[in-house]
Amino acid sequence: MQDWTGVLHLDTEERNGRTVAKRVYFQGAFKVMRPIYHDESGQVCYYILNPGGGYLDGDRYQMKISLEKQARLILTTQSATKIYKTPNRHAYQETEIILKEGSCLEYIPDPLIGYRDAKYKQKNIIHMEKGANLLYADIITPGWSPDGDKFSYNSLQLINEIYMENELVVYDHIKLNPALQNMGELGLMEGYSHLGSMIVINEKSNQDFLDMLYQDVDTHTEECKVGLSSLPIQGFTVRVLANNTQTIEKIFSNFHHIISQEWFNKTPSFLRKY
Amino acid sequence: MDRNTLSLLQLCDSNFPTGAFSHSYGLETYIQADKVHDQESLLHWLRVYVTEQLVYSDGLACRLVYEALEKEDYQKVWKLDRMLTMQNLPRETRDGTQMVGDRMLKLVKNLYEIPVLFEYSERIRQNRSFGHPSVVFTIVGHHLGVSVSTVILYYLYSSVLSLVQNAVRAIPLGQTAGQKIIQGFQEVLTEATAKVMAMDEEDFGIVSPGLELSQMQHERVNVRIFMS
Repeated sequence: MQDWTGVLHLDTEERNGRTVAKRVYFQGAFKVMRPIYHDESGQVCYYILNPGGGYLDGDRYQMKISLEKQARLILTTQSATKIYKTPNRHAYQETEIILKEGSCLEYIPDPLIGYRDAKYKQKNIIHMEKGANLLYADIITPGWSPDGDKFSYNSLQLINEIYMENELVVYDHIKLNPALQNMGELGLMEGYSHLGSMIVINEKSNQDFLDMLYQDVDTHTEECKVGLSSLPIQGFTVRVLANNTQTIEKIFSNFHHIISQEWFNKTPSFLRKY
Repeated sequence: MDRNTLSLLQLCDSNFPTGAFSHSYGLETYIQADKVHDQESLLHWLRVYVTEQLVYSDGLACRLVYEALEKEDYQKVWKLDRMLTMQNLPRETRDGTQMVGDRMLKLVKNLYEIPVLFEYSERIRQNRSFGHPSVVFTIVGHHLGVSVSTVILYYLYSSVLSLVQNAVRAIPLGQTAGQKIIQGFQEVLTEATAKVMAMDEEDFGIVSPGLELSQMQHERVNVRIFMS
């Protein structure tokens, strides 16, 4: 299947303390803006654009991203990924990421919005070498619907497979299927409409650090529900149920700040538009 | 009932000492929050747990392991053992399942001489595999020549038995209420088994957000009688 709607390849490497692109290739409905250096750290930031404005019936997107040793990249989007009605075939996106030893990727796309009758499947496959660092976050949100229906999309499926030295270490599979499920009930979305997920892999992660993050969470609010837990390797995962994007972004942004300060001794770059 | 099915039934007994009585798989979080507090709310949680989570992990694994054993594709069995462990993101639930799997394996090794079971045990000792009750159960079921759909049904049934017993203690509920739930759940179990039989391999590991979040939150629950 070569008929991609949009293709993006981005290979980066570290050169004299700055991360630069070794190769940038894009075609069809994918584009990247010119690289931005938010601070003096040498970490590069790329914004991904979808000039078509949204994913339609049968659209297929492919991304291949690689970071050579010590390369440091922030990858984000310019705006939310919108999935529109897909009456015949689901929209699909697959991303393959390679992180070499000592590299550091922060992949923080804007929220994914599922509109009425949208079907979407996304697969991220991440290969890491020992000593590579990852911070990944996504937010699933319902699109505006004239009748106020919180779950008018058909199904949104997100799979994250992470391999460390070629061994599977994380298999994260979410499939929200309002066409078949009663989303509001106990055990599913439990009255919330938005779902945020974050995965962090770093050799400095431990239980004390998780306790510290947890102290930052307001456990008495009805606004959101937060769960965090350590992975079988050094790292952790976070899930948040909430009723708007801002609530989830605020939690993720706080965690991101703590991580940057504690582990990298810096303040994270201001990316989002909150 | 034939002899071999009876042999598999032995593993389903809630007195079969696997340590399953120490694990609630997130149910205790709901009990502490008073979201699960009576027969009706327990039945509701149980239905969501079995049909929205267990079928995609343990249930589908029973079928895929069984199919791999039929083809003598042991690499596939080890791959599924790893996938089962890695898709279980809440730490307590992951560790708890591994403990139960390990206990079950140690026990059935004394009851049956099955070469693949010994290899599984050796792989776990070398930290190359993890140990999962659905894999152990299916290896025994396959060895006994029990059909794949019966293996799935019995596995799900035994999971429900220990969960109901745990809930009866924790909520608490009367023993009669517990038995009523088990009886009323039979139809859900046969439907869940049919669902597993019809599943695509790509459906593996789908989790339900609320259930998973409660399994993660269990780490922070104040009063705990369960390890997960």
